[in-house]
Amino acid sequence: MLSPDTIQAGHTVLVRMPSGEQKSVKLEQKGQISLGKFGSFKGSLLFGHPYGLTYEILSPTEIRVMPPKRLDDFGDVDATAETNELIVDDTTSQTLTHDEIEKLKQAGMGTEAIIQAQISQHSAFELKTAFSKDKYKKRKEAKFLKAVTVLEPTLFTVAEHLFNKDHTKMRDLRSDALAHMLTLSNVAPGKRVLVVDDVSGLLVAGILERLGGTGRLLSITDIESPPSYSALTFFNYDQTLVSSCLASLNWAMTDREFTPFVPPPPEEKDVRTDRQRQRVSKRAQASKEVQDVREDLWSGDFDALLVASVHEPHSIIAHLAPYLRPSAPVVVHSPYPEPLSRAQALLRADPSWLGPTVHAPWMRQHQALPGRTHPMMSMSGTGGYVLSATKVYVHRFVQFVC
Amino acid sequence: MWSDASTIAEGDLVIVWQTREAIQPLVIEPGKELQLRFGVYSHADLIGIPFGSKVASRNGKGFIHILRPTPELWTLALPHRTQILYVADISFITSYLNIRPGSKVIEAGTGSGSFSHSLARTIGPTGHLYTFEFHQQRAEKARAEFERHGMAGTVTLAHRNVCKDGFELVDLADAVFLDLPAPWEAAPHAYGAMRKDRMSRICCFSPCIEQVLRTVTALNDAGFSDITLYEVLLNPLEVSPVPTPLPIAHAVARLQAAEGRKEERRQKQIAKAARDREVKEKDGDAVAAGVKRTHDEAGTPDSEEGIAPKRARSEQESAHASAPEVDQPEVPFMKPQHEVRGHTSYLTFACIRPSLPVT
Repeated sequence: MLSPDTIQAGHTVLVRMPSGEQKSVKLEQKGQISLGKFGSFKGSLLFGHPYGLTYEILSPTEIRVMPPKRLDDFGDVDATAETNELIVDDTTSQTLTHDEIEKLKQAGMGTEAIIQAQISQHSAFELKTAFSKDKYKKRKEAKFLKAVTVLEPTLFTVAEHLFNKDHTKMRDLRSDALAHMLTLSNVAPGKRVLVVDDVSGLLVAGILERLGGTGRLLSITDIESPPSYSALTFFNYDQTLVSSCLASLNWAMTDREFTPFVPPPPEEKDVRTDRQRQRVSKRAQASKEVQDVREDLWSGDFDALLVASVHEPHSIIAHLAPYLRPSAPVVVHSPYPEPLSRAQALLRADPSWLGPTVHAPWMRQHQALPGRTHPMMSMSGTGGYVLSATKVYVHRFVQFVC
Repeated sequence: MWSDASTIAEGDLVIVWQTREAIQPLVIEPGKELQLRFGVYSHADLIGIPFGSKVASRNGKGFIHILRPTPELWTLALPHRTQILYVADISFITSYLNIRPGSKVIEAGTGSGSFSHSLARTIGPTGHLYTFEFHQQRAEKARAEFERHGMAGTVTLAHRNVCKDGFELVDLADAVFLDLPAPWEAAPHAYGAMRKDRMSRICCFSPCIEQVLRTVTALNDAGFSDITLYEVLLNPLEVSPVPTPLPIAHAVARLQAAEGRKEERRQKQIAKAARDREVKEKDGDAVAAGVKRTHDEAGTPDSEEGIAPKRARSEQESAHASAPEVDQPEVPFMKPQHEVRGHTSYLTFACIRPSLPVT
């Protein structure tokens, strides 16, 4: 398998705090996971655990697995007779002060007990509706509970995390848009795929996952050195499997006419030490590897092209089209509609492309609670735009008859 | 699953694309002919050409595209036995349920097999799909289809009502997808069939909110956690070449020019009226002198004779005015389609959190 079953030393994990915030932490053998006011604990406590558990932080050396939260039973929701008719909006209803709470904490009182104390000191609590009591408890829990969840690094959770953290950096590639790209491009084990990824490697990660450790992913970059894709670190993929699938080439090297500058091998007398000899052979090896990847691109027969790039989409498609098999899908994401509408118009006018289509992915999450189910009050306004088309081989028998 | 060769061979399944609205599957059988709106094609002619070819018809009536099948094209082309899942839902569910190569997946019901094909592709040869269909005829058709499509090694199909009889699988599935009229009846069975040593996930697909509410309660009662609800759509946009819209200054200039011409014409009319008056006065003198004129003899009266050519001229002028020397190249503008899908179904997700291995 491409990804590990359990949490290991050296993994990067996503930790969700009671406030809903998420933090990525690299687990060192002796490192601490520090989560500010929610406390800290030794990362090694997680080693060997499956992903997806929630823990209560008891002390820096002790954590306890918490049972998953269940939906609260409100009974017959129509029977909640309480309304906010008599509730006065002021600060006098809570008589427990901040200082008193701090003292309780120092005295070693548990989170649940503190929340109970606050409720018992709340003069208007019983006037609240069942829903509003629940909301109050949840708010207090988010504030005081030291419960953290180690998320499983799935494509969905990592895409959500990166999108929520900095959607601009991710070029508005939302989790659903990424999912559509992977489906429309028909990526599957054993396929040969071309990618242009300016979204921190999230698209690369998605394709790698769908290849499942077999096939070829060739990433075309606009930088001189091999890319370091930060999104890949979240998945803790098996590095041997990744490097057997993934190769990269920069745009200059894709050009058949271009001959990269290879320094002439130094003269025998200049290579005296082992270190010098090693350096010479390493350099030769590196330029051979690049040449191999170039040959692989030129050999063509790629099954799909996926693009989420800062560069103009049609020029990318035109540049890489010769290396795609006929019937291969091309899928391009952009945060902006204009580059895609232009590319769509150009592809439509070109008989070697079939069915160029632009879609805007739309996604809406709902709160699903008994008696309180409704769409979220705020949602993401855009996940970008997706252009897809199929490459066509114009057969020599084709004659255009009107 | 399907041929991976570059060229088409006898017995291959291909997708025939005539237009976006006319896409159909075809199995290549030499000796047969394909008769379409866009011409007649002999199967034999298609053998040996690359998948993805654009092919002209023998009778010169047009051309078609012969594509390599993918689950997505199959979804567009497949014979519908039931309401099918669309690509937006398929891709989102696959992603949220973390389905990938090697995954063990349960699907109920099989329906037309649209999602089954997509799942089989994604899980690959190391994964497995257990699919359940309670309608016997549909189950048999789907089974035959999976066999023909080379999916028999990846897909196990059972004809069973899972709401009543469960899945007969224990602690096995990484992901479960329920597209059933009453998913709440199958939720406890699903819980038993799913693995507990790692995160496993379920999705229930229901078009109505009332179904969702019952499902949420049933999932919670069965022991699932992290229950959430999504809707997804892929809104199609249409691109059309539109002449670059002109700046408003252009309208200002055109209207002002027209205003100028109107004034010019008014002046001309005044001048003409003055001339006409002069002529009339002369004519009046003539009548007085006993010269008789009738309408019949005169044909069109003077006044009309005067206006007709004038109107023609003004049309010429305005045509000229609306097409002055402005560069108005066409640009591809994009807008949402007029009528789009507004709802497919609610996707209710939940998961089973893993339990710690006993040490």
